[in-house]
Amino acid sequence: MMTYIVFILSVIFVVSFVGFSSKPSPVYGGLVLIVSGAVGCGIVLSFGGSFLGLMVFLIYLGGMLVVFGYTTAMATEQYPEVWVSNKAVLGAFIVGLLSELLTACYILKGDDIEVEVVLKFNGAGDWVIYDTGDSGFFSEEAMGIAALYSYGTWLVIVTGWSLLIGVLVIMEVTRGN
Amino acid sequence: MSMVYINIFLAFTLSFMGLLIYRSHLMSSLLCLEGMMLSLFIMMTVTILVNHFTLASMAPIVLLVFAACEAALGLSLLVMVSNTYGTDYVQNLNLLQC
Repeated sequence: MMTYIVFILSVIFVVSFVGFSSKPSPVYGGLVLIVSGAVGCGIVLSFGGSFLGLMVFLIYLGGMLVVFGYTTAMATEQYPEVWVSNKAVLGAFIVGLLSELLTACYILKGDDIEVEVVLKFNGAGDWVIYDTGDSGFFSEEAMGIAALYSYGTWLVIVTGWSLLIGVLVIMEVTRGN
Repeated sequence: MSMVYINIFLAFTLSFMGLLIYRSHLMSSLLCLEGMMLSLFIMMTVTILVNHFTLASMAPIVLLVFAACEAALGLSLLVMVSNTYGTDYVQNLNLLQC
């Protein structure tokens, strides 16, 4: 089972995406988005990206979704809709689940299948890890992110400036007239 | 291309369809936009980690920064709509009367 852990996590990822894409009340959609963020962090961690998984939890879930949470609490209704209380929501949820189930069964059916939608998906490369053989004593991903401050100085300036401009734009938008 | 990507593409497509098909709340469309950004982040990170594409590891962080900007802007527009009409129902956005 541990060899399939990434596949199982990606199936749970898609199921929770179906959960909020079928659009129940936003409170429940936010809860399911938190679950999908946690499972996505698990996928990233399974490939060895510990810093980027922590980024998902801290900044995405802890920053952005908390803001979504209290904005939803501000603009919500008295009887929020669950998935089973409305036929449209339930129908969309079941259609999404069925499509994911079909995809998962097709993938699990054989070892040498090949799917071609726009690109060729091939399951044979899953158990091979591309490796140059010389990784040293440091984590490559953490060093790549640390390069944000040496090679990517202009990126830092642009993103910082756009965040500042974004704050000013939001202040002007919410000022209204 | 490994098989994990199929599920992540499917997740992106599902939340894209969810963004385009409105129901009553504007907030749930913003949540679908956040879902699209999350699936793009995961796809980018998995590609970078599998191919040992070290210097591109800063790209998911930059994606997260711009996704945070756009989420904040969307939320501020939703707050203004909610201040004007009381709720964030999409049927309230009907100034064009033709």
